[in-house]
Amino acid sequence: MENKMKFFLYFSEILGRDVLDDKNQVVGKLCDMVLRLNNEVFPKAESIIVKKGLLRKEFANILLEDFQEVDGELKLKITRDQIKFQRQPFVSDFSIGQHVLDQQVVDIHDKKVVRVNDVHLLKVDNQLYLAHVDVGLRGIVRRLEWTKWVDVLVRYVSPKSPYLTQEELVSWKNTHVLNIGRTKNVVRLGVGREKLARIPPTALAEIMVDLDIFEKFSLFKVLNADMQRKVFTDLPVQEQEAIICQMEDQEAAILLEHIPADEATDLLLTLPKDKTRTWMRLMQSETSKNLQKLLGFSKDSAGGLMTTEYLCLGKDALVKDALQKIKDNVDYPGSIFYIYVVDDQHHLLGTTSFRRFINAPPQMPLAETCYPQQVFVRTDDGMEEVALLLERYKFSAIPVLNEEEVLQGVITSDDVLEELISLTWTKYKDQL
Amino acid sequence: MKTFFESLRKSKAFKNFILFLSVMGPGIITANVDNDAGGIATYSMAGAHFGYALLWSLVPITLALIIVQEMCARMAVATGKGLADLIRENYGVKVTFYLMAVIFVVNLFNVMAEFAGVAASLEIFHINKWISVPLSAVFVWILVLKGTYKSVEKVFLFACLFYVAYVISGVMAHPDWKTVFQETIHPRFQWNLGYTVMLVGLVGTTIAPWMQFYLQASVVEKGIAVEDYKHLRLDVIGGCVIAPLVAFFIVVACAATLFKAGVSVETAKDAALALRPLAGDYAAWLFSFGLFIASIFAASILPLSTAYCICEGMGWDAGVDKRFEEAPQFFWLYAVMIILGAGVVLIPRFPLLKIMYLSQVGNGVLLPFILMFMLSLINKKELMGEFTNSRGLNVITYITVVTIILLTLMMVGFSIFSF
Repeated sequence: MENKMKFFLYFSEILGRDVLDDKNQVVGKLCDMVLRLNNEVFPKAESIIVKKGLLRKEFANILLEDFQEVDGELKLKITRDQIKFQRQPFVSDFSIGQHVLDQQVVDIHDKKVVRVNDVHLLKVDNQLYLAHVDVGLRGIVRRLEWTKWVDVLVRYVSPKSPYLTQEELVSWKNTHVLNIGRTKNVVRLGVGREKLARIPPTALAEIMVDLDIFEKFSLFKVLNADMQRKVFTDLPVQEQEAIICQMEDQEAAILLEHIPADEATDLLLTLPKDKTRTWMRLMQSETSKNLQKLLGFSKDSAGGLMTTEYLCLGKDALVKDALQKIKDNVDYPGSIFYIYVVDDQHHLLGTTSFRRFINAPPQMPLAETCYPQQVFVRTDDGMEEVALLLERYKFSAIPVLNEEEVLQGVITSDDVLEELISLTWTKYKDQL
Repeated sequence: MKTFFESLRKSKAFKNFILFLSVMGPGIITANVDNDAGGIATYSMAGAHFGYALLWSLVPITLALIIVQEMCARMAVATGKGLADLIRENYGVKVTFYLMAVIFVVNLFNVMAEFAGVAASLEIFHINKWISVPLSAVFVWILVLKGTYKSVEKVFLFACLFYVAYVISGVMAHPDWKTVFQETIHPRFQWNLGYTVMLVGLVGTTIAPWMQFYLQASVVEKGIAVEDYKHLRLDVIGGCVIAPLVAFFIVVACAATLFKAGVSVETAKDAALALRPLAGDYAAWLFSFGLFIASIFAASILPLSTAYCICEGMGWDAGVDKRFEEAPQFFWLYAVMIILGAGVVLIPRFPLLKIMYLSQVGNGVLLPFILMFMLSLINKKELMGEFTNSRGLNVITYITVVTIILLTLMMVGFSIFSF
């Protein structure tokens, strides 16, 4: 026990303790410890912040070299006159009180967010290093200064309780601080990134849901671009929105370009119009053109559901042209079962299907094989209407027209099905 | 016709309305839960003992409620954290622990008062408390542990509608509307002890400490974005107006009947029973039905909100979707609140009236501390960013808070005195 005390020290043991000058007179109380922010595994303590006064509080920042010892007693080498007190509290890039103690950190080993109850300092050659954070019940009891009483009580009630022996310490190697960079834009690169790379993206996404927006963003910023994309696509839309709104416009545009187009569209639809416009301008023209078209429609309208991949032919086309068109497009991603007959302005004149013209004479005008009745939906029609028409006419795809009768795209039955399934699933989840 | 709907859909007002509906909930629910068993008892007594003479106080109370609740909603949106979280991160574990301990005890008394309200209201319908209390405890347990936030919120929003019962029973009591109106806009203070105690009681029961924790937590849980803040504010203010409005009708109902007939009442149950010969069976039934809804509504929210807030402050895992081994502290706290809260009501000759008093005193003792924490937090620039209080608002807030603190201190004094 004696030996252990020499190497390790809990921050709670010195927090609030009197700091003595060279003549053993009280200078003030220890209120915080500033650490050096670098890429070392264990951050080294640089200075100690001392507070005095009750109503008129004053603070002083004293370097660790100026202490004779920091352990049982907090004794200074310097005289009282050498200490400069100021009224403003010190704001540092990284200190135990502001960024670690009582804050939430990510426990990389157990992949969850934990709250720090105490800090375990390692003492080597009169230097202090942040070694572990205490996230257990013992830490809380120690902070409350009840350890003695609680230990006696627990030993009396249940001598074998794990509470007595089990320290819940998390090594600093396995923690990631969240609220650094909340006041300033300090980001711990390197170490933070390496540590976080050990967590799979899905687990990271789950952790992020538990954090508040600033912590989310500070965690997100540390990740490299590839990891950012993976984690981002794993997040629910609401979370994506929160994060992307915190980003610089240029970063946001690059991120949007690199995630799947349907994810990007869904996200852009929930965002304010002016933001969307700014980002689209910053994107490469190809990507933004695609997104632009899909974005013009509300998500559950026909316009939002349709794809722009379909086959169409002019009004003078013959049956043999249609057969050729299908042969040429065997690998086409859209449906090749239907061919739409359009005029020069792309107005829809008729719909025909493979079944209707495959046995027709090749020289016959394609328009004559069209369905006698025009079945279509408008871009702003609802999904229910689309589903109803698809079912009534037993079509597997239906054309979408705008107000001027111009063909805009087609909706296939599987697009509707996908949307309905997710809708049913949400309702089902609500009932659970 | 189609163009009409189209223009409606495109109009800004309509879009704003839809946005409002989507963020609606936290403010209105919190304010309505505020009219719980203890609240209704206080309002009935205010009406029965002082007639319309206290109606005016509901106007400044509404304003104070708006100021306090709006600050909570703003903190939730700006920081994305609950109140307990913020207190822990800014004032350390020691302060948080003792604060949470007090909150636990005070809220436990509140839960007891709610279950007492359930028992009392159902006894008017001749349902024995040995049946009503255990059943409602089980109901509360299932509703909250098996529901998601979304579905529970819907049930709660629906429950808010039942407060109309009080409006109806207020109208059925045939008050003299001209006097009611005059008394509402004319503050007239009576210099006697009973009147002051009642006034302070009204403030204390309307602005309760757990409301701040609950409101902030539910705004965070709902994940309302900074852009939607103006809609959320509407929801909060709406709730803060509706709740005293319900209180207004309770006071009116009791003033028009009980005060006129000179009946003295001590509890909400007394009031409901006394209403029967004066305002008819239906008015009395509506009154006790309202009491039942209010009590069970508050009994569902209080234990859960307390368990969440304590776990949040102490850094323990919490959540109804977790298993017991994952969040033991959370489930223990929740279970103790419900079992103790419902259990004591069943003890024969248990001094329920004193428990009600104690819960009011507890609220009163706690509130000044919570308000001071809130004021200090909301003025931290590094936390709130552009959402800190403006200078003007700070002055108003300080005046409000100091007044509330003085009044609640007075109430605590009186309650101990009358205890």
